[in-house]
Amino acid sequence: MKFDDAIKKSIKAFIGGKLPKQLIEAQGKEIIYTPEYLDELAEMPEEPVMEEDDG
Amino acid sequence: MVEIMADAPIPGENYLSDTRNYPWHRPPEIVDYDQAVDYLINRLTETEHSELIYSLMKTKQPLTGIVAGIMMQSIGRGKIAIDLAILASGPIYRYLEILADQNGIEYESGLEDKGRIPITPTTLKAAVGILDDDEAEPEIETPNAIIDASEGLMGRPETTEPSSAEDQAMMLGLTDETETNDAV
Repeated sequence: MKFDDAIKKSIKAFIGGKLPKQLIEAQGKEIIYTPEYLDELAEMPEEPVMEEDDG
Repeated sequence: MVEIMADAPIPGENYLSDTRNYPWHRPPEIVDYDQAVDYLINRLTETEHSELIYSLMKTKQPLTGIVAGIMMQSIGRGKIAIDLAILASGPIYRYLEILADQNGIEYESGLEDKGRIPITPTTLKAAVGILDDDEAEPEIETPNAIIDASEGLMGRPETTEPSSAEDQAMMLGLTDETETNDAV
């Protein structure tokens, strides 16, 4: 399998909601960047751009 | 007798070279999944990188290719290992999707298999080599068929016979006939 194919497979798995279980077990803690977290991030409104005052 | 000089390393030469010269020969700097994603997202938000990524997305470069490029760069710099890069590619892809959606950029995901030939009974038979001769092949409109329509100035003439001697003389301007313009 080529590197690009591995990347695609990983992306498809992530979008499908699969998490790296063995990595979580090895790290011994929950991961932050889950599909649910990024879905919530997508639904959040954009931060307003703060315009700098010249005066 | 021709003596061939092989331009190749001698056996065991690799054991003499310093393998710590390249960043990817050393242990990676980041080994934590969340830290790796944090690092990659921070890199994406840098001005130079974000400009490049937005430009790539606008030129319809597939997001998977952009993610692969980002990962290759980080691996090459010795920041993350290959396996962690593959695992972190999912969140980075999703983050790029969010950026594109928020900025109204139409992007190519790169996850579709565009180059794949669909498997049909005909393609399967052709691949195995058992295509029946009795099957009538569908007619394909060839460019020649379009040219044969003899339409337009450069179209093929309907008759292949040469013009008569009088017509040829007229075309060459050898006759005394002059065109009169009655319309004026």
